[in-house]
Amino acid sequence: MLDIRRISSSRWWHKKKTWIFFGIFLFFFFVRISKGSLYKDFFYFISRPFWPGQFQKEVILQSIDQESFIKLNLLKKDNLRLREILSLKQLSNNNNISAAVISRKTGGWWRQIILNKGSKDGVEIGSTVTGPGGLLGRVSNTSYFTSSVTLLTSPESKLGVWVDRSQINGLLVGSGDDNPSLILYSKDADIKVGDFVSSSPASTLLPPNIPIGIVQSIDETLQSKKTAKISLLAKPHLIDWVQILKVNI
Amino acid sequence: MNKFFTKRLSIISFIFIPIIFLWHPNWLGLLGVQPYWPLFWLLPWSMMNGSINGLIFGLFLGLILDSITLDNNFSQIPGLIFCGFLFGRIKLHSDILVGHFRYGLICSFGSFLCGTFYFLQILFRNFSDINFTIFMPIAKNILAQVFLTGFFAPLICSQLLRVFKFSRRKLH
Repeated sequence: MLDIRRISSSRWWHKKKTWIFFGIFLFFFFVRISKGSLYKDFFYFISRPFWPGQFQKEVILQSIDQESFIKLNLLKKDNLRLREILSLKQLSNNNNISAAVISRKTGGWWRQIILNKGSKDGVEIGSTVTGPGGLLGRVSNTSYFTSSVTLLTSPESKLGVWVDRSQINGLLVGSGDDNPSLILYSKDADIKVGDFVSSSPASTLLPPNIPIGIVQSIDETLQSKKTAKISLLAKPHLIDWVQILKVNI
Repeated sequence: MNKFFTKRLSIISFIFIPIIFLWHPNWLGLLGVQPYWPLFWLLPWSMMNGSINGLIFGLFLGLILDSITLDNNFSQIPGLIFCGFLFGRIKLHSDILVGHFRYGLICSFGSFLCGTFYFLQILFRNFSDINFTIFMPIAKNILAQVFLTGFFAPLICSQLLRVFKFSRRKLH
């Protein structure tokens, strides 16, 4: 007599339920291994409409701007007061003349710009010219309607400057190319690539604390001095409008 | 009135040289260097009027251009005088095409001379502290200027020469 073989198996791997359970288990295992990245990505898409938007960013940036502005004003006032106490030279307020560049020679032999304000508007020889970024040069010649500015890159330009980090004075000499050289008359002067150079607080030619440039490379081959190439912050070959500062002496 | 202008066309065009020199259009330049404008005028002028006139107007050009540049230590006069004198020795060529290219060659040679004279002044002035770094921008200046001057000279010089010839024909 034949055994009636059970058609319907009762083995566990024949059960659909087991496989479903196993699948779900695998899914959660994967989630666990991937540290829930699937959930997070899912959440990313769901929460997208509720993110802090552009608007909030603008508000925050604006308040940061305001904060810096107020701080700047406070520091300016403080600086002015301290300078008065020390009776140092200072920049007169509200005496800037805006001028447009009408001719520029920024490459080649000659490095100068000509501005559309001259002695008629009260520009004087020796006034400081700044543009977006910082110092451009000094007025070295005026006519009735125009004034010519010797750029910092011109070989004629020699100015005393101040290395901000190590607080040493140096001489900025134009070298006929786009990067003037900074000369420090001391072999062990502390200067690094990336140092910030501004006009010297002790200078008699320039108002104090005008940004000039950043140290680009340092040459230490000379015996008695260090020279560094400065990359200027104000780019004279692009600037169209400049400010002429009057200096109180 | 009209006759007055045609007679003095060469002198009138002389006035425009400092203006172009000041205008300094960036889109015409190479590496921030411009062609050496005064030579474009000086070459036809000297070819028409001879060495002595070229020398004198080289001096005038040098004086004007020195006055509008701020470099007090260096002067463009020696180069321009020499070029004016040299250009005066050149005979007008009959063949037009060869003539065009000749202007380019002569002008680039002239600008090379002017650049070299300028460079020698810088060299003598800074004799005490010469290092290699000052040579690079100067070499760049001279080469770019020579190239640009040679490039534009055939266009401008031949036109100017025609204008000068025209004004002279009216004169006689």
